Amino acid sequence: MRRVKKPVFFIVAAIILALAITATLGVKGQNGDNDVIYLKGVEDIRWGIDIQGGVEASFTPATDEEVTNAQIDAAEAIVESRLIGNNITDYELYTDYGAKRIIVRFPWQSGESDYNPEEAIEEISATALLTFREGNEHESESVDANGAVVYRTPAGTTAETVILQGNDIESAEPQLTQDDEGNLEYVILLHMTSEAADKFAEATARLVGKTISIWMDDLMISAPTVRQAISNGEAMITSGQAGSAGAFTAASASELANKINAGALPFALKTESFSTVSPTLGLSSLSAMALAGIIAFILIAIFMILKFRLPGAVAVLCLLGQTALSLAAVSGYFRFINSFTLTLPGIAGIILSIGMGVDCHIITASRIKEELSLGKTIDSALQSGFKNSISAIIDGNITVVIVAIILMLVFGPTNILSAIFGASTTGAIYSFGYTLLVGIVGNFLMGVIASRLMLKSLSGFKGLRKKWLFGGERK
Amino acid sequence: MKKLRIKFYENRKIFFMLSLAVILIGVLFNVIFGTQLDIQFTGGAVIKYSYQGDLNPDEFAAFVSQQTGEGAVSAQINQNVQNAGGVSDLNNVTVSFGGMKALDLEKQKSLMSAIESKYPSMSFELISSSSVNPSMGRTFFIKCLVAVAIAAVLLIIYIAIRFRKIGGASAGLMAIVALIHDVAIVYFVFIIFRIPLNDSFIAVVLTILGYSVNDTIVIYDRIRENNRLLKAKESLPSILNLSLNQVFSRSVYTSITTFVAITTVYVVGLLYNLPSITTFALPMMVGVVVGCYSSICIASPLFVMWQEKKAKNA
Repeated sequence: MRRVKKPVFFIVAAIILALAITATLGVKGQNGDNDVIYLKGVEDIRWGIDIQGGVEASFTPATDEEVTNAQIDAAEAIVESRLIGNNITDYELYTDYGAKRIIVRFPWQSGESDYNPEEAIEEISATALLTFREGNEHESESVDANGAVVYRTPAGTTAETVILQGNDIESAEPQLTQDDEGNLEYVILLHMTSEAADKFAEATARLVGKTISIWMDDLMISAPTVRQAISNGEAMITSGQAGSAGAFTAASASELANKINAGALPFALKTESFSTVSPTLGLSSLSAMALAGIIAFILIAIFMILKFRLPGAVAVLCLLGQTALSLAAVSGYFRFINSFTLTLPGIAGIILSIGMGVDCHIITASRIKEELSLGKTIDSALQSGFKNSISAIIDGNITVVIVAIILMLVFGPTNILSAIFGASTTGAIYSFGYTLLVGIVGNFLMGVIASRLMLKSLSGFKGLRKKWLFGGERK
Repeated sequence: MKKLRIKFYENRKIFFMLSLAVILIGVLFNVIFGTQLDIQFTGGAVIKYSYQGDLNPDEFAAFVSQQTGEGAVSAQINQNVQNAGGVSDLNNVTVSFGGMKALDLEKQKSLMSAIESKYPSMSFELISSSSVNPSMGRTFFIKCLVAVAIAAVLLIIYIAIRFRKIGGASAGLMAIVALIHDVAIVYFVFIIFRIPLNDSFIAVVLTILGYSVNDTIVIYDRIRENNRLLKAKESLPSILNLSLNQVFSRSVYTSITTFVAITTVYVVGLLYNLPSITTFALPMMVGVVVGCYSSICIASPLFVMWQEKKAKNA
């Protein structure tokens, strides 16, 4: 057998412990007044709405008329700007053009004391109020999660003077134009009704060189400067050559056009389905599941150590590592894996994968035990135990991997099935599929690589070279 | 090391009878109770409140029905629910609306204020609510069925590839019989415990399928290995017994640890009154046991019976 050096055990064990500790607690530092997160811990996990509390709702146009996809986009823009306006940052928002449906899901914000889900749903789906106002005075400004500045609440003249309203706009569309020098530029074309054209002509004549700001509800969405009086009801919002600083991109131009169209929508949004979870229920569920996880881990650890002795103890270390990997894969500990919303079934998936993950250790340890009982030495028992168990371990995992992937496909937000069935919010089960998958991968890393390194290394210690410790008979 | 010598093959009829009996009981319950689909699939509404003090569920249901104008309202009470702070003096009431349609947001809102004014001192609070449009429910249901179908096809392909070496079509077929057995029993757990079928059901069924298949494969692998070594001197049934006894402890140990893990989740879920967890964990517990049982006591003896019959006919 190829020898593994004695210190290897301590190195692997130290890596596992370090991973377990950092993946649980995270590594945080201070940079002046700012907390800096170097590695994310359990605290930084994004919890699903079944834990953090939150709202899920689907809206549909309350009209019998034909609804175009552009109108659905506009309606989505309303919902999105409401979410931002309410400081809700980690929302999921989907549209299903086939069923004319907008689906939103967002967790309750931590620190929010006033829990009123019905009002929250009403607020984000209420008919949008679009206004064009003189100037761009505002009461407050803040920075949203993406680093963009959000201006709120018109003030002064801006509050007093409304030039146009949503129903004055016939349509807004993003376009790509070319100026005289051949530079490309994204612009937004506004078409107004004829009454609006007169009002707008008057206002633009008065405000040449000044600003007319565009507001959705309480948020300023654009503040263009008037270049010249516009009398034909066809205005163009420009922003400079594409690619230059502050200019529209294809995405931002269509976003703004959607928002303006939203204000001109001929229908209101009706809440079709909704579900709400209070944060208190979620919190107790979380502590309950954490408790369940710890108890399950301890019970399994006791079982493994009593039953398999040294390989059992190594298995417990590996399970610890596996659990830490699962947590790390959820929290976004590794930079290359995005953080993942964890739900109650997701936690159940982590616990279940601990129970199932024991399998590969049991297969290996049983094989070693069998070989020892045939009278082999520890070294050769380990070697054939490892060799003979690998195919069973792969078999034992692959079907669960298939199932986990299917669960993610079905309950995930966008996937091959949503092409047929339309988008949906991510169900709580999505998280279960993910943690099950991650648990199996972690189990494989730990159960095959780490556990073997540790066992081989341990077998090099004189004091541990007793068959009994590896599952053999007591002499 | 002590060796197990359980006569699996000779006792196969007992195993088959046991499974049939359980399935019969399940069918019986299914006929009596019918199959309940969760509002996730059918559409409908459920609201859960917490409160303090005493509440008569029927009276409350009648009040809710009158306030919302919805018929067929039922209310169910859970007392002394544990919460995060360890306080357990809160009670929960779950109101279900019949009629399989979504409840208006407006109605839910006005219901809350009506409750607050009728029971001012009982500190009612909204815990969770769910209101599903029937057409969305139906789409979701079909999507789930499609998923199960895709999983079944993939598993069968996997079984077909994997079993080419072990025993060919008959082995694969028997493995599938065992899987159907597992799914049936998991389904009956939902029926017997009156758990409406929901997305957890799909998750449990798929997980148990994956879990049970690999158990069966490990056993068949052993049978193949022993068959190669001992074909000359032993009969197939005794090779089966030998193989099963060899893998028995591994199968059982793994099932035990998985069972312990999921049972802990179930018990804690029960203590804290988390139906979303218990309705998921209970069928999973049963599924883990059944998955292990069916691989050892159903799939393997069936396979040998088939081979024996083939040998006799030849």
